[in-house]
Amino acid sequence: MSGSHLSRRDFMKAATGAVGGVITAALGIPVIGFLIAPALREDKAGAPIAVGKLEDIPVGKFHPFSFTITKVNGWERTASNYGGFILRNSEAPDDILILSSRCTHLSCTVNWNESANAFLCPCHDAKFGPEGQVLDGPPPEPLGHFEYSVDDQGVLTIVPVELKSEA
Amino acid sequence: MWQKLYTWLDERLGLGDMYANLLDRPEPKGNWWNTLGSASLFLFILQGATGIFLTVYYTPSPDHAYDSITYIMNDVAFGWLIRGIHHWGASLMVLVVFIHMVRVFVTASYKYPRELTWLIGVGLLLLTLGMGFTGYLLPWHQMAYWATTVGTQIAGSVPFLGEFILKALRGGPDLSALTLQRFFSAHIWMLPALLAGLIGVHLYLIIRHGESHFPDEED
Amino acid sequence: MNEETKKTISEKYERELQKGERFWPDSIFKDVVVSLGLFVLLLLLATFVGVHTPPKADPSDTSYIPRPEWYFLFLFKFLALYGQIPVLGKIEFIATVIIPGAAILVLTLLPFIEKSPYRHYGKRVLPISVMALFIVSMVTLTMIADIPTTSGTDGVYVAGIAQTIGGLVVPGLAFLGLFIMAFTLKQKAKKGMIWTTVIASVLMVVFTGLTLVYAPTVEAEAAEVPVTLPDQITAGQDLYSVHCVECHGDDGSVSVIEGVEGLEGEELTPINSRDVLYTITDSAMQEVIAYGRPTAGMNPFGKAYGGELTRSEIDYIVTFMRYAWDDRFEMPPVKPLYPALAEGEVPSYDVHIAPIVKRYCISCHRAGKENNNYLMGTYDEILHSGDNGPNVAAGDPESILLLTIQGTPILDDNGDELIGTMPPNKQLKADIIDVFLRWVMAGMPQTAEEAAALSTAPLPTPTP
Repeated sequence: MSGSHLSRRDFMKAATGAVGGVITAALGIPVIGFLIAPALREDKAGAPIAVGKLEDIPVGKFHPFSFTITKVNGWERTASNYGGFILRNSEAPDDILILSSRCTHLSCTVNWNESANAFLCPCHDAKFGPEGQVLDGPPPEPLGHFEYSVDDQGVLTIVPVELKSEA
Repeated sequence: MWQKLYTWLDERLGLGDMYANLLDRPEPKGNWWNTLGSASLFLFILQGATGIFLTVYYTPSPDHAYDSITYIMNDVAFGWLIRGIHHWGASLMVLVVFIHMVRVFVTASYKYPRELTWLIGVGLLLLTLGMGFTGYLLPWHQMAYWATTVGTQIAGSVPFLGEFILKALRGGPDLSALTLQRFFSAHIWMLPALLAGLIGVHLYLIIRHGESHFPDEED
Repeated sequence: MNEETKKTISEKYERELQKGERFWPDSIFKDVVVSLGLFVLLLLLATFVGVHTPPKADPSDTSYIPRPEWYFLFLFKFLALYGQIPVLGKIEFIATVIIPGAAILVLTLLPFIEKSPYRHYGKRVLPISVMALFIVSMVTLTMIADIPTTSGTDGVYVAGIAQTIGGLVVPGLAFLGLFIMAFTLKQKAKKGMIWTTVIASVLMVVFTGLTLVYAPTVEAEAAEVPVTLPDQITAGQDLYSVHCVECHGDDGSVSVIEGVEGLEGEELTPINSRDVLYTITDSAMQEVIAYGRPTAGMNPFGKAYGGELTRSEIDYIVTFMRYAWDDRFEMPPVKPLYPALAEGEVPSYDVHIAPIVKRYCISCHRAGKENNNYLMGTYDEILHSGDNGPNVAAGDPESILLLTIQGTPILDDNGDELIGTMPPNKQLKADIIDVFLRWVMAGMPQTAEEAAALSTAPLPTPTP
């Protein structure tokens, strides 16, 4: 008799624990999805953006430019500013290099320094060469670049997605 | 190994004493009506958990409150579930706490030596209603906006002090961003802190005096 | 309470403990089972009932009827009924502060008011009667909370009288009766109090029933609020089509207004231009729509300034403009205006014609516009209204509506134009004209069922 009584109690203890576990899991698993949902959203490539007329961009010189992308983040539309440098190596409309100004180390903005003939990052003294290659400092990879196209009127249009450059 | 770990912890935390004093207590013969108090506690914890998660996305500002909740409901994974539980849980909690109060009233469990438990219980009931009132405004929809306008106006009808109370509740003469912000603050910090503290005292008193027994002809 | 009684109580409790159970696991097990039940209930409610979403708060839209959470409804109704009492009803704080305050005070101090040591309900008839009456009034007041206290018209308003009696008079008299009995009859009052409570409760339930039966039928709540982005864009486009197209054109490109009385030839900036979209923020656009540009000829549209649109509606229009015209935003997939028609399928008013009319016609064909009194707001109006009506005749390809949308103006006896082509500025797309043709030729079915019945007919020959 006492044996069966004990086992009834053990059953109650086990059942209580199990129910507690079920409730925790039924709430906990959705909550994980709830918290990480924004991280699972895919970034969408924006529409191409015109950055200027070819004739206004000097040849053989780094020409800084910037553009704004409006993104829908959650319920908010926010504009983010991006920038970079256009280098026309020659008059040919397809001989262009467009580098991002975002340092590949920790995303500070690099500037072209004429005397050093390099892009210098003001944060941790990174140094990138004219092709974006790493010359010195902590960055793990070269500066990113943008794909572009030039239309009949000579308008330079870029795809606002930063691409990794080959080392 | 486990035995050693348990002994080590027990020496420091007093797990055995805790078990003996908190869990392994004798109680009068139970009744399903006696579960309402713990059900209220369960709902409080559930509301706390879902509420904390909702603040990850919710923004207490007239410009964003409505949109952020629309976002939670439509674009966040399981947002509808977390908000749904919090929304319905609020109603259920008011209902369960109220029925718990009625049960204690009918069995006269508030009598000696449990007068203080009752007093704190009434405080908990009022705080629960306060949570419902402050939480109702947060989605910042038409219904909430106008109901809160009327609700705070009721406080404004107090003789002499009405105007002052009204402004203190709303953070100004009108329902505004300040109202939303202070209702939010009350809803997620002040009232829950008070609730949690009073629940602690309520539970201490229950353990101290034991659960009351169901009254019979003798009582 | 003397020491003797305290000792008796403690001893009784000790005896109860002897017969009792352990907190863990006996009591906790029950607690957990109930908690699980509540949790499952919440999951079901969240999944299958969801959360109703009213439109966004709009301080300028005062037509909204405020409703508190359901658990405050009884108080809400009590205030409304109390306000009907002559003279006393004008002293508001009695109902808002004194009565609820007194109730809370009594509840709080209950252990110090009811000091008898007895716990069994048979020995506590007065408190239990009071509580029972209180709960019954709470429930009945909650149930009739939505029914207006007065009808606003002269004559006998049964629901109003019934709710005043059931919600105020009966409980008031019953409480009074209970206290008088308790203080005059003392011990002998038991039966009287029980009967008072039972009769009062039954009366309250009966009068609540009467109120509900005689209550005026209330119009159903307005349509669902669009919550997803595509729905908001569609809602915005529909509103734009009604309120804005006349001057700005369906794509916002109009730079010189044509065919609008009083604004003919007025110049404006195309609102689909980058100049406008890139430089004017959402909130600025909302203000422009709400306040208008009165000196430039644009009327206010927001309710705050005497227009028709609520804040949310203006919000949807701006959302539509952004996603449709601003090249920085990508249009999400939006549901088509009407489901495409299969070969031989007959369109219905409800599914096809209504959304098309809303998008392309209502802008002018509604009250207050110059339209020969041809209104297109409802099925009946489309069929029967208009100075030259009926504008549609079942199976008649020469119906005025069909001719005008296909580019044939209607001429009067002198050969002057009576009705121009429709819509005046831009012809409808061929597939939309086809929907109208099929609809009129098939006899203008209203519902989808009627249309489906016509579609299955083997030979849909037009009536001569």
